[in-house]
Amino acid sequence: MNRKLMGLAFALLGTSALAGPALADVNIGLLAGITGGAAAMAPEITRSYQFAVDQVNEQGGLLNGQKLVGVSADDGCSPQVAADAATKLVNVSGVIGVVGPWCSGALLAAANSATIPAGVLLISPAATSPEITTLKDNDLVFRTIPSDEYQGQALARTLLERGTKKVAVSFINNDYGKGIAEAFKKEYEAKGGEIAGYEAHEENKSSYRSDLANLAQGGADTLVLLDYGDTSGLTVLREAIENGFFKNFVGAEGMKTSAPIKAIGAENLTTFMASAPISSKSEALEIFNKAFSGIGGDINASYVAPSYDAVFLMALAIEKAGGDKSKLSQSLRAVSNGKGEPIMPGEWKKAKELIDAGKEIDYKGASGDVDFDANGDVPGSYALFKVAGDDYAIVTEMK
Amino acid sequence: MEWISILNYPVYLAIFVCIYGCLAIGLNIQWGYAGLFNAGVAGFFAIGAYTSAILTTPHAEGRIGGFDLPVPAGIVGAMLLAALIAWPIGRICLRFRSDYLAIVTIGVAEGIRLVARSEEWLTNSARGISGIPRPFGDLPYAQAQLAYLGITAAILLVVYLLVERQAVSPWGRMMRAIRDNEDAARAMGKDVPHRRLEAFVLGSATMGLAGALYVHLARTITPDAIDPMLVTFLVWIMVILGGSGNNRGVLLGAVIVWVIWSMSEIVTDQLPAEFALKAKYGRMFLIGLLLQVVLRFRPQGLLPEALRKTPRDGNRRRAAEDRTAPAAGKIED
Repeated sequence: MNRKLMGLAFALLGTSALAGPALADVNIGLLAGITGGAAAMAPEITRSYQFAVDQVNEQGGLLNGQKLVGVSADDGCSPQVAADAATKLVNVSGVIGVVGPWCSGALLAAANSATIPAGVLLISPAATSPEITTLKDNDLVFRTIPSDEYQGQALARTLLERGTKKVAVSFINNDYGKGIAEAFKKEYEAKGGEIAGYEAHEENKSSYRSDLANLAQGGADTLVLLDYGDTSGLTVLREAIENGFFKNFVGAEGMKTSAPIKAIGAENLTTFMASAPISSKSEALEIFNKAFSGIGGDINASYVAPSYDAVFLMALAIEKAGGDKSKLSQSLRAVSNGKGEPIMPGEWKKAKELIDAGKEIDYKGASGDVDFDANGDVPGSYALFKVAGDDYAIVTEMK
Repeated sequence: MEWISILNYPVYLAIFVCIYGCLAIGLNIQWGYAGLFNAGVAGFFAIGAYTSAILTTPHAEGRIGGFDLPVPAGIVGAMLLAALIAWPIGRICLRFRSDYLAIVTIGVAEGIRLVARSEEWLTNSARGISGIPRPFGDLPYAQAQLAYLGITAAILLVVYLLVERQAVSPWGRMMRAIRDNEDAARAMGKDVPHRRLEAFVLGSATMGLAGALYVHLARTITPDAIDPMLVTFLVWIMVILGGSGNNRGVLLGAVIVWVIWSMSEIVTDQLPAEFALKAKYGRMFLIGLLLQVVLRFRPQGLLPEALRKTPRDGNRRRAAEDRTAPAAGKIED
């Protein structure tokens, strides 16, 4: 009985395999926070995803001319939604790799319940929680965005170098704010700085004056504000300036948006600086920026460069592995380890020819060199920006 | 691809239906039987999830525990703690009637969520807890999922049978009497506040159980998993749509809502790219529309509450009449 059933199942499988086309398209999952807390970033990041997919297909596609197909799915910035979406991508759409999700909690759930057990490679362009570094992932989870740990540390060192010895820290109470704040505090105190006030604040409150008044009591004249410039970070910054709680303001990449300049005005933001990942002023970034703005993309939008890199690296890894799912993570490390012929963003054709000829290549990403460490993380390169006119200009690079 | 892995998605869907089934039965005890408007489902779900996570993970620096207990101990602990926390909340809040109770329970759930977000020593705050064990989690993908489905389905079956047993017992009849006409029940000598508290604690423990089952599936818990949208309101829709007061009804509601919610994305993905992105927002709209349609054409739900010996339709209507002209005759059913 059992054997009959098995036989039937195999027969069905056999016919379906025969029916399938010999050159099937290669599916990869594109998990994006289309709904939920990160929805504001969705249009530009999904455009960046699609841009990379289109480039690969325009320049000859994958392997033997197969097309790369990006199956987009919504992670909702929520663990349940992301895990559900990842399960569908892996089992229904049959993807061999997943790019995304953006939110760290969503990534942990999706990786644990779908991609790691299924042996599917996952590259996130935006999830920054240090928790992901220690995930038991069978070497299947990678990031093209540095962990918050790096940025917090770099910010602390830079402030000390610039002679700021005493600060108050206000951060948004979520994994992003807390991750950076903790790393900042640890490094700042270890290197001899003084934290005179350290408090989390909830998002979307109408006023933060009492929080700010508490922080100002510590006597620091510099506020380190780790929040989003589009939402509560803007309110905190405005109220701090209006009421004169602090003189200097330092934010991280979440604060480096156009909203504060529009709402508060550049003339009032002369003492405001923000750190953000820079792509080391590289040739690769210039190439990407030119190409991406050429299709109408906004090059200043958050996470577009790491998102592009994640998709492009996924395609390179698939090519290198010959489409073999089990070799993907090994191949991903091979195509971007600092050794071999450099490949710039958009140079798919050249990369493919080199891989087919069996040569080593090294992808130079728009967001940095993206050479992964043992945990699948990338070290970040950051700069401190100040407001200049309607935009931001680099003050100094951060080490 | 191995043939068994074709089942992976349906199996995952079924596991989630079982977890939501537990939540829906928990809410049904409170709303369906006792008429308690609990809008804080997510809070008790969170207590269950975090309790089981803390009890079963290995020791961790910087937060309480990591007691490394076996998973069944975590699940039992989750139910106990959810019940234990529900008790004082019930003592205080159940004095409020219907809509006031809803407001208070939303507040409680929000409080629990903020504690989970902020208290580093307890929940590791925003970073959450990872590395939670899953029974049979070391098996290959498909087998591990099937095994977990077996566990959740068995637990759901036990919960269902026990609650059904409870509902047809004198206790169940008494709860419905209290729900439909509190004054009459009190006149019959029933201890109304105490009985309502029983239903509240029992329902909350069931929600805690669902939280524990979720956390061992996802193997990680972060505060964003206790989103009221996905935990509280989706469960309410399941209960109302399926038929409050009927356990089979609320389970049907769980199946319908979760399957539509999850599978609609596969359908919308067939649309052209520019619509497919926008259609992701349509999923929530679809659930809302479904609720509207059911409320308009079948307000008692798809499988309404079945009462024995109903001479006329609409026991609810009779109950409403009772309220205006109290006639205590039907209290003992």
